[in-house]
Amino acid sequence: MESASIGATYGGRPVIGRPPLARLPDRLVKWGLAALSVGILLLIGFFFVRLYIEARPAFEKFGFFGFTFTNNWDVHAAHFGALPLLVGTLITAGVALVIGVPVAVATALFTTEFCPRRFRGPLAATVDLLAAVPSVVYGLWGFFVLIPKLRPAEQWFSDKFAFLPFVGGHVAGPSYFIAGLVLAIMIIPIVSAITREVISTVPTDQKEAALALGATRWEMIRMAVLPYSRAGITGAAMLGLGRAMGETIAATIVIGNAPVIGKSLFDQGYTLAAVIANEFGEAAADPLHRAALIAAGLVLFVMTLIVNAVARGIIVRGPARERGTASEAFGATG
Amino acid sequence: MTAIAAIATRRRRQDRVARGLLALGTMLALIPLALILYYLIVKGIGAWSWSFFTTDPTGSFFGDPGGIKSAILGTIEIVGLATALAAPVGIGVAIWLVEYGKSNPVATAVRYFIDVMTGVPSIVFGLFIYITLVLSGIGGTFAGWKGAVALALLALPIVTRSAEVVLVLVPDTLREAGLALGAPRWKVITRVVLPAALPGIVTGVLLAVARAAGETAPLIFTATIVKTSSFDLGAPMNSLPAQIFSDVGQAQDRLVTRAWGAALTLVALIFLFTTLARLFARRSAVR
Amino acid sequence: MRSRLLIPLLMLLAAIPVIVAACGSSSNNKTGPAQGGTISGAGATFPQPVYDEWASKFKDKSGTTVNYNPIGSGGGIAQFTANTVDFGATDSAMKDSEVAAVKKGTPVHVPTVFGAITISYNVSGVQKGLKLDGPTAANIFLGKITKWNDSAIKTLNPGVSLPSTAITVVHRSDESGTTKLFTTFLSDYSPTWASQVGADKTVKWPTGTGAAKNAGVAGAIKQTDGAIGYVEQAYALQNNFTTADVKNKSGKYVAPSLQSTSAAGQGLKVPADLRFSAINSPNPNAYPIASATFLLVYQDMCKAGKSNDTAQRVANWLNYALGPGQQVAPQLQYAPLPANILSQAQAKVDALTCNGTKLQKASY
Repeated sequence: MESASIGATYGGRPVIGRPPLARLPDRLVKWGLAALSVGILLLIGFFFVRLYIEARPAFEKFGFFGFTFTNNWDVHAAHFGALPLLVGTLITAGVALVIGVPVAVATALFTTEFCPRRFRGPLAATVDLLAAVPSVVYGLWGFFVLIPKLRPAEQWFSDKFAFLPFVGGHVAGPSYFIAGLVLAIMIIPIVSAITREVISTVPTDQKEAALALGATRWEMIRMAVLPYSRAGITGAAMLGLGRAMGETIAATIVIGNAPVIGKSLFDQGYTLAAVIANEFGEAAADPLHRAALIAAGLVLFVMTLIVNAVARGIIVRGPARERGTASEAFGATG
Repeated sequence: MTAIAAIATRRRRQDRVARGLLALGTMLALIPLALILYYLIVKGIGAWSWSFFTTDPTGSFFGDPGGIKSAILGTIEIVGLATALAAPVGIGVAIWLVEYGKSNPVATAVRYFIDVMTGVPSIVFGLFIYITLVLSGIGGTFAGWKGAVALALLALPIVTRSAEVVLVLVPDTLREAGLALGAPRWKVITRVVLPAALPGIVTGVLLAVARAAGETAPLIFTATIVKTSSFDLGAPMNSLPAQIFSDVGQAQDRLVTRAWGAALTLVALIFLFTTLARLFARRSAVR
Repeated sequence: MRSRLLIPLLMLLAAIPVIVAACGSSSNNKTGPAQGGTISGAGATFPQPVYDEWASKFKDKSGTTVNYNPIGSGGGIAQFTANTVDFGATDSAMKDSEVAAVKKGTPVHVPTVFGAITISYNVSGVQKGLKLDGPTAANIFLGKITKWNDSAIKTLNPGVSLPSTAITVVHRSDESGTTKLFTTFLSDYSPTWASQVGADKTVKWPTGTGAAKNAGVAGAIKQTDGAIGYVEQAYALQNNFTTADVKNKSGKYVAPSLQSTSAAGQGLKVPADLRFSAINSPNPNAYPIASATFLLVYQDMCKAGKSNDTAQRVANWLNYALGPGQQVAPQLQYAPLPANILSQAQAKVDALTCNGTKLQKASY
């Protein structure tokens, strides 16, 4: 677009190309935004480095793999092995995704495709209201309402399906499952809202083409809407996953905070974020403990790195799509 | 004839089943919301009164415990500052990623790490700011603006990511039309692309604001807990999540009720702000 | 058309906080030096209610606002050491290593109130006052005693009919000075506990459910029949919990009350720097799971970097705490300091200096 000015004029103004001075705002914007983005990258790098410096005493004492994969978090004995926390984070985030993403996508689909036009706005605003609830309220509601109300059902399930792996035994109350359930509710608004935006930008001609060929509403969604939005929906799910893994307060209230790897889904557990919230106040004075907690935060960081890389790998290897679609958001070339 | 009719019936049935499932999914999302709101209202509405909103908490356990005025003001100020920091930066980065960076290595790196940042626990942002800004003593120890920075760090990845998802979906045809008409790149971005994506971007910003407004952990270590109202962001400042955190574990029932009243206030505030912002955005959108 | 209303509406909304902020009030007739101003502290969650109540009354008397951030004893020690607050607060006295880490001056421990940990339970048909001793409590929390009608509990309580309900142990999931005091008590009576679990602000509990803060533990106990847990006395007394009578060092079964808590400090030999623990006190009337909570200040606050006014205000605050504050504390179910410890604490406060000069002693 920025070609050399040839000099042909019409009414005194250049016809082809633009004078260099007029290209200045473009350059400013381009380099300004680039500087901003690189600045953010540097900030994230600084963030990582600073935290690593604080966490180093713990890594030095236990080794990076020793710290992350030892199943023994014992504050009193000053031994910090984060495996039970890691497992707890993965399980609760997994449960949250498995329950939350389908519900969120279903809600988004319903809102944009099937809901009568008049109610779309209010329905969307209502679902988004879930995002306005502070996390401490989710935790308390989960503790005082969900746990007692669901315990009989959980116990029944645990007894009837004890032959399944990870099911069976006494249901204590706070558990991986409840934590995952509360997290699922918490990620619904974010996944649903982004999915809604993604779905509503599917070009209508694609949708009408499918309908014109005689597809039912659902078939149209399956053929025209979902493939187009798949990458965007995954982006939304990644945001939801991020929230689920990093959620601190709600998780700590309903997971039971037992630094062990529970044998069943209804056992108590612990997450990386919860341990930081629980122990930082008192640990602030003890250098090794404090380092261990920040190290736990870093492990979470690294875990998110890996999970995101895997998700990108899955998307990029999907079927080739046209330019200007969300796959570019994941760095796909071509 | 019957074969075709049979297929048609099966497809129609699939369609109906699918509709039912989607409606069910929506119900599953709305039921917890109704339950939580009901719980919030039942526990918190008792605290609402004129003095609840207009007096500061006094810390007194026998006399008047006061209201939550300083918490409301503090949340508005801190979250306002955080949004003012995070929204422009986040949208700017998203624009760069979609319009200029595209698939080059730097852009991929930025995208990747911003994704990772969405997964960092809120308390870690608080700790980071505590270590870098509070302990080092820059601008005093605890301050409202430091809490705002911690919240901005929390909100930034959400704004960027959701803005990016939406910007990418603006069809290239719109961009090319603008460019073909002789508009410079930056004008195409500001006059064509951004307005087209505005509702989605606003949604992203609102989600980030809602998240930031409800977070306790980052504020405890940066803005700390105080009782008095203040417009000075350079000094410690109260906030609704901090007030809830402080009140909810108390033995006195009326303080616990105050905590729930504060939680209800927070939800109402966010809802109000979100609705207004959406109305505003819809008016300016080019659809 | 609608957008014309929108801007004025937004301006009105923005004006509301300003209007609301203007509706404030203040009071007069203050006494003492260095009136007004603000001081900040952080630390233990346990005494937060009493510190907040004191702060409110202290403000009326002196005009000074005291902001207390209950982030936990460890946080209190850390912020005190980093000098980001004007005073710290901790449930257990600083360890030698923590004292050595303080570079900005000499830390002074000022005990303020005594508190206790109750063993609270929820068993249908069992009233308040179940007798428990150290070894039995330890075995319950170790998971060795699993039913309420176990012979160990029966022997201690011959007249009580105990059901065969399973015991559900509830403990704190967050780090807390409360946990440290309770586990210290258990360690004193059970070598198994001492070696297997130990005494600390957070331990690896052999059994039971974890709940956050006193409120969480209390809630969990209330929700579960057969539950037993440890709850701060102020919290338990205010909410009328069913608490156990615990056997103290002299062999007496004592119920947790303000008198039995203060008794834990009476006649106790405390070191000169007042870093003591009153757990398992030898006093025959003492409740065994009781101890003091401390405020931390620098011996010379100005040398540590505080202004003259701030140092004076902190001294005023401490004088209030050791003066009228001692009358206020019992109203909130916190036990006042016994006379011997109170006089030693007062002496410490009188000796605080600012750049070498003693601070004024205000009386409230």
